[in-house]
Amino acid sequence: MFRIETSAILKVLSYGIIAVSCVGFTGCGGGEKKATKTEKFVIATSGSDTMVNLVQMWAEEYQKVNPLVTVEVAGGGSGVGIRDLIQGIITIANTSREMEPVERDQAKQKTGKDPVEFIVAYDALAVYASMKNPVDTLSLEELAGIYGENGQIDKWSQLGVNMKAIGVNDEIVRVSRQNSSGTYAYFREKVLNKKDFKMGSKDMSGSKDVVELVTKTAGAIGYSGMGYHTEHVKFVKVAAKKGEQGYEPSLDNVLSGKYPLARSLLMFTLGQPDATTKAYIDWLLSPAGQEIVKKAGYVPVAMVKR
Amino acid sequence: MNNHQPEISSALFTATVFTRKKQRMQRIVGIVFGIMAVAILIPLFVLVTYLIIRAWPSLTWDFLTDVPKNGMRGGGIWPALVGTIYTVTFSLLIAVPIGVMAGIYLNEYAKDSWFTRIVNMAVVNLAGVPSIVHALFGVGAFVLFAGMGKSIISASFTLAIMTLPVIIVSTTEALASVPRPFRTACWNVGASKWQTIRTIVLPNSISGILTGVILQVCRAAGETAPIMFTGAVFFKYVQRGDFFPYHLNEQCMALSYHLHTISTQVPGVPEPMLYATAVVLLGFVLIFNSFAIVLRVYMRNRKKW
Repeated sequence: MFRIETSAILKVLSYGIIAVSCVGFTGCGGGEKKATKTEKFVIATSGSDTMVNLVQMWAEEYQKVNPLVTVEVAGGGSGVGIRDLIQGIITIANTSREMEPVERDQAKQKTGKDPVEFIVAYDALAVYASMKNPVDTLSLEELAGIYGENGQIDKWSQLGVNMKAIGVNDEIVRVSRQNSSGTYAYFREKVLNKKDFKMGSKDMSGSKDVVELVTKTAGAIGYSGMGYHTEHVKFVKVAAKKGEQGYEPSLDNVLSGKYPLARSLLMFTLGQPDATTKAYIDWLLSPAGQEIVKKAGYVPVAMVKR
Repeated sequence: MNNHQPEISSALFTATVFTRKKQRMQRIVGIVFGIMAVAILIPLFVLVTYLIIRAWPSLTWDFLTDVPKNGMRGGGIWPALVGTIYTVTFSLLIAVPIGVMAGIYLNEYAKDSWFTRIVNMAVVNLAGVPSIVHALFGVGAFVLFAGMGKSIISASFTLAIMTLPVIIVSTTEALASVPRPFRTACWNVGASKWQTIRTIVLPNSISGILTGVILQVCRAAGETAPIMFTGAVFFKYVQRGDFFPYHLNEQCMALSYHLHTISTQVPGVPEPMLYATAVVLLGFVLIFNSFAIVLRVYMRNRKKW
């Protein structure tokens, strides 16, 4: 009795496995057939953490515009997106920095196609500090002094900021990003003049992590895209030179060019994009797509005079 | 003298200092070990209660069946839930046949030789490899070398490689627990080795094998690293309540990775949503675990020895 039952269970299980795998594989084949029939299309993208929320909002909204096209969104950093593009496993790389000539060569070598660049939005790299922190304006030189390899600024008192008044350690807690980040690369280029970062900073793996840590730590300073601002953290005004007026990273200040750390957010495709991808990028650049840029806290392309 | 007599006899039958010490120690050890046993329940209980209380406002049916909305700050987790079911199912379809067959070979057919010792050592070592290493292996072997790209199938293969060792080990253990007389009796009535395995050994060890498999379901569902580089995405739109939204050559969302992204990447996610995602992941795992326990109890009650 017992033996019959368990071997029956075994049989059912093995038939089940066979059946499911058959369904799985035929389902796979059938799926491809269906794909040509209904023209379901997947655009794979990966890259910048700064852009990941913006791209996600685009993907969500584009579903309503064209339900047959699904956009896959993955993060990891601009470096990850560029690497994936070079290996040809994605359609669009979202990056917050330019592709370097070496990377363009690699892409050409591996895939035989030249990467094509699209500017899809503008961002200001914002410097964040805690609400408690009395610091108001920092110049680019001062930022280089804080973050740069040979920078001499380690204490808030050196910047004329009195932290003792609010009972916080005078030490500056430097919050930075991991080196696959486009934000990291941009900061290194624009603020540190391509010199290296000082050792001992807290390197976070996401833009949101940076802002959250700065929000919680009174003595901290950090940098991230302007879209990550919340009401619990403040922008430090940035001045191009010491003694000059500093500006907040706002829409107006980026558009007028007053804010010194504005940058473009880019998308790269391998060669000219195919019709579906082109339609998607065209939609991003249309007023409807750029409205979302504004909603995500970045600066729309159309508003910037070139 | 007369008073002394009962004293001696009572001294004979009451505990000596040595016995009392022994008993005291016995009691202390019992209490301390008992507290330890109860103590391991406390973190689990506190964790589950805390998660459910924090998650309560978001725990609705809609949360399960809806797609993320409003820049991942609203809606539900349907794409991630289906994605996890996909990767776990396909990883099992790959790992279970291979693992069970290898386990049967190792326990029933293989003689103790340098070869089987190497295989056994390899299996044990493979079980100790950190999941992030499996992830990198998956990227190299499946995504790039085998040309599967970042896809559900790559992720499933990576998870399968990760779960294989434990499935093999639990299969060999379950087979080894079947008493040898069962086999000899079967051989003596003229059954071949395979007939014996099929009709006697496997039915008597199936509960142990299934327990191992189901525990690996939990591991496959919970791990983030192996799928992060091989097939999990930040966001992908699917129809609400659609059971077959993904093709195998596409990437998908997954519960564990979704929890990681909404807690580290997306600003302004309402806290209850974070906790609710954790509760769903935990619930997924607990349901499978309790299924394993029920199955084991049922099978054990049917055992004849």
